Amino acid sequence: MTALIEYQRPSTIDDALSLLARPGAVVLAGGTVVNATERPAAALLVDLQGVGIDSIDVDGTVVRLGAMARLSAVASHPGLAQWIRDIARAELPSTLRTVATIGGTIATADWESALVAALLAVDATVTVQRAAGATSMAVAELLADRSGLAGGIITHVSVDARWNGVVHRTGRTTADRPIVACVAAAHPERGARTALTGVADTPVLVGDVDALEPPGDFRGSSTYRLHLARVLRQRALAELGA
Amino acid sequence: MQITLTVNDIVRTLDVDPAETLMAVLRREGLFSVRYGSDSGETGAAAVLLDDRLVSSDVVLAAQADGHRVRTVEGLSAAREELDPVQAAFVATGGFQSGYSAGALILATHALLAENPSPSDDEIRDALSGVLDRETGYVKAVEAVKRAAAVLRGDTPEPFGPVVLPPLTDGTNPVPYQPGHTAPGVSTAVPRLIPSRDVPEMAVVGKPELKVDGIKLARGNPTFADDIELRGMLHCKVLRSPHAHARIVDIDDAKALALPGVHAVKHYKNTPRVMYASGGQSWPNPHPWDQVSFDNKVRHVGDRVAAVAAETPEIAAEACRLIDVTYEVLPFVLDEREASAPGVAPIHDEPDAVGIHDAERNIAIKIVAQTVTNDDLAAAFASADHVFEQTFRVHQVQQTPIEPHVAVAWLDEDERLILRTATQVPFHVRRIVAPLLGLSVKDIRVMKPRVGGGFGAKQEMLIEDIVGHLALATKRPVRLVLDREEEFVSSRTRHPQTLTYRTGVMNDGTLVAQELRVIANTGAYGTHGFTVQNVTGLRGLSSYNCPAKKFDCDVMYTNIPVPGAFRGYGAPQAEFALESHMEDIAHTLGREVIDFKRQNWVKVGDRQDIVMFLGERGTLDPGDVDPATFPPVMTSGIEECVAQGMRAIGWHRRDDPAWVAPPDRPHIRRGIGFAFCMHGTAIPFLDMGGCAIKMNDDGSFNVMSGAADLGTGADTVLGQIAAEVLGVPLEDIKMYTGDTDMTPFDVGAYASSTTYISGAAVKKAADQVRWRIKLRAARLLGVDEPCSIELRDRRAWAPDGRSVSLEDIALNSLHTEDHEQIMGTGSHVSPDCPPPFAAQFVEIEVDIETGQVTVVKMVMAVDCGVAINPITASGQVEGGMFQALGYAVCEEFAYDDTGRMVNAALGPYWIFRADDAPETEVFLVQTMEDSGPFGAKAVAEIPTDGVAPATRSAIVNATGVRIDQIPFTPERVRRALEAHQVG
Repeated sequence: MTALIEYQRPSTIDDALSLLARPGAVVLAGGTVVNATERPAAALLVDLQGVGIDSIDVDGTVVRLGAMARLSAVASHPGLAQWIRDIARAELPSTLRTVATIGGTIATADWESALVAALLAVDATVTVQRAAGATSMAVAELLADRSGLAGGIITHVSVDARWNGVVHRTGRTTADRPIVACVAAAHPERGARTALTGVADTPVLVGDVDALEPPGDFRGSSTYRLHLARVLRQRALAELGA
Repeated sequence: MQITLTVNDIVRTLDVDPAETLMAVLRREGLFSVRYGSDSGETGAAAVLLDDRLVSSDVVLAAQADGHRVRTVEGLSAAREELDPVQAAFVATGGFQSGYSAGALILATHALLAENPSPSDDEIRDALSGVLDRETGYVKAVEAVKRAAAVLRGDTPEPFGPVVLPPLTDGTNPVPYQPGHTAPGVSTAVPRLIPSRDVPEMAVVGKPELKVDGIKLARGNPTFADDIELRGMLHCKVLRSPHAHARIVDIDDAKALALPGVHAVKHYKNTPRVMYASGGQSWPNPHPWDQVSFDNKVRHVGDRVAAVAAETPEIAAEACRLIDVTYEVLPFVLDEREASAPGVAPIHDEPDAVGIHDAERNIAIKIVAQTVTNDDLAAAFASADHVFEQTFRVHQVQQTPIEPHVAVAWLDEDERLILRTATQVPFHVRRIVAPLLGLSVKDIRVMKPRVGGGFGAKQEMLIEDIVGHLALATKRPVRLVLDREEEFVSSRTRHPQTLTYRTGVMNDGTLVAQELRVIANTGAYGTHGFTVQNVTGLRGLSSYNCPAKKFDCDVMYTNIPVPGAFRGYGAPQAEFALESHMEDIAHTLGREVIDFKRQNWVKVGDRQDIVMFLGERGTLDPGDVDPATFPPVMTSGIEECVAQGMRAIGWHRRDDPAWVAPPDRPHIRRGIGFAFCMHGTAIPFLDMGGCAIKMNDDGSFNVMSGAADLGTGADTVLGQIAAEVLGVPLEDIKMYTGDTDMTPFDVGAYASSTTYISGAAVKKAADQVRWRIKLRAARLLGVDEPCSIELRDRRAWAPDGRSVSLEDIALNSLHTEDHEQIMGTGSHVSPDCPPPFAAQFVEIEVDIETGQVTVVKMVMAVDCGVAINPITASGQVEGGMFQALGYAVCEEFAYDDTGRMVNAALGPYWIFRADDAPETEVFLVQTMEDSGPFGAKAVAEIPTDGVAPATRSAIVNATGVRIDQIPFTPERVRRALEAHQVG
């Protein structure tokens, strides 16, 4: 039976928000996750491509990424540091980074996403628009409680371009989705932060590796992931000179 | 809803369902170059340009593309047979093989070059990273992009062909390794050809001819099994078992049948019960025969329960959900070592299965083969100075062709059943499916269109019976395409095995006794269980001379998705264990590894003994066979292979401590490994191919062969053989293959047989045609001796230099006098099985803290006799090595505690991408194998044999640690290093 899918492409954020208030409404950003996952029998897909939140703007030291900016655009934007652009490029292969968006990547918060870890490490700020107005919060705060996204739309992500960073990863091959990756980033005024993938149900900021209790799977047991977390974090911090 | 798309510059207004993907809509609109590989975007086979961005159209809704521009490969070049520079570059270099994803590769190149006219290799590999290719290893695709970039910049690159290198040896004897030699200064995508003095100069054979199917594939023409639409076609979905082992107590299809749009539901209650074996093999299929179309028992998660034919795939899927099945869940077992343990339930307790060795203990098949009696074997071991015993475990992996299994069935105007199917074995499919459907062989026509890769997965009658049952029941065309998860859990895989070698060696390094005991896992059904494990015994006990050998194998039933044929066919398992075992013996004896192996490996004149005791025609009693009848090895270029490979990999570096442990990278260890490889060429006295050739009015020829080109270039190679015999360019040969009505019989594409067997049949048929042409030419030229006529350059030449064109000969024969259709037929079966040999080298880095093994470079130097086409032959080697590399380092079926596969998608499973594929270099070392057509031996499977043991060898070089289980995934390697206090 053809699923009872309705598709809407609003042209303003306000229209998008009112559509999202309807039952079964789902935000459709790029679609690499939503369209690849079996949907409920009835759903309203609210495509945000028309609401004008795909630009990338530089304002002094702050780079403001529209949530609908594709990862390919993030990867090639000269306003961002090369290290974070490289992480955006490595996030998905050439046929999918041209579809997936930075907002969708954050909303999905895949536990193996090095790009989300990088945003955590640089303490990126996410702006969420709701009918009641816009609120801004740290990525870490959003990931800690994603129920806060319900009925809202991520419109922007802001990154301080002064962060310098590195990523260390371990996988079955060099392009494999990392089993564990560690992003370490340092800021001239704020010191160093590290974030890890593959050690919790979302990427997480990590100060104390020993506090982690990673889930295990066929690519890495819990103890192995903990071992990788230690090794990769140490390496990343050493390379960063922190 | 209505959308507007600008497709290839034409504005189209379309009615689409909001849930439909762009891929589905484009295919519905006839743009068949947009191909299905997955529903998750991960294969990239459906990549198109959307507003000039390369996107996987299977994760984009058609609705999302509303108002945008779409370009597919059909929009690149309008004129008939015309190619744009990118398409031309892919054809010239062999940048694609099956061409299933050719459109995606070509569009990816356009997207890259539009932004970056002079990309680096890394940038090219990144641009291709989203288009998975299981066939080429990306080597020649990268070359194609570089070539296209050059042409678009206005350069004129040299024609693409092999670089000829001088030999380093006399062809027989080893030479001392000389460090410091450098490789030729050309791209590693260029095959290195080391000619043999024994091979005569030829016009077409041995030349880098363009693939005969290259143009249609580059243009994205509809040529694969699913690239047709038939009026009233129904869509099939299969209900699959959620349980690893269960009895079906009852099944109720009433709700499914009541769903509007459902036309038929088939299951055990309404389908005749006919036992069969699904493996595509010669008649009679080896036992056991343990399958029926629909059973009242399921034996693995993903096993068939029922099948529905309905108006749309979505209705069929919904109907599957509406079928009520009552299961009695049974205990299950996944590991072959536990399958006979007390308390394990028999997996095949049906009374009508035929030929199971011991159903109660889940032993499907028992194989014993030995060259001496047990007493003589024991005496040989007793006489040895050293006896080594070692156990290895190899795991389950999948062929993963990007084109999944596809079959379309319909009744033609004579009400015969037509099966258009992606298969390697059209004739076996026809023979195996007929009794299941209650039809005779003559009632069925099987057509193999272009196939998007097979690698053994399609050497099965896998789904043709399902669409056959439903087409007969509904009188409508029925189509079934497996989705990617179904492909993983319900098609075929490589047999896991536990292998134990015991070897007796004298102090001087001579082998005196060797025994291989194998516990093999054939999963839920027997299919290829007998023959694959026979090849394990054959390959595991053939490489090294030894006067006393024994193979003992239990092939176990378990509840894993079914293993079957997978390129290499039991050899990669055996050669991982054998090469690793031999290397470890060498180390223990204090011998240099290659030197020790060389002392024992088979050489020209040595006899292949164990082969006589294995296979469908094997014998059990060593006394039955006269050793003088064991087939000898007639050609071997192994010493030249070793010399070329050592030089290319830089063998001496492995002995330099500062290279192995680079001081500036404290957690890295580097290593270089080696494996000796020996394979077979076709199955002697069994593999058979037929060919018919007829001459046309213009002096061209139609070649009808039963062979099955899966993207390998078989049609091209067969065409080159015909062209060489008939003295015409390849373009005058029109190939038609793999159609049970229209071509002679052929066993199909497996066992490294197509060039050797089907090629010999083509040569025989062409020889007949040549003789008819000579007779007529002699008459037309007034020459008494037809034997003196030569054919070349589309003409027949008399010794005095006069000639007549083949066109004039054809017109004379067809229209003028003494009328005759000039034609010929040939069939071939071989008494020989000449082994190709190869030297496999691998360079790696090990991160000793994390355990990650990164393969930096693979070199294979292979003796495949005369490579009929060096481009397609080297493409086979490159692609085969990458499948072998996946086997060695990353690919692995993983299960949860219910027996369900947890990584049934290409991302979690992981096959190599363009941007993590290491460098490769291929050497084609010629020998003149007189039993093969124009000197050819096989090349298709030997590249799968050596990468895993060579990688293990390199890990030993790097770290001193020996790991007897693959794959070398980071955690497994880390644990081994930790156990040896490394890192």
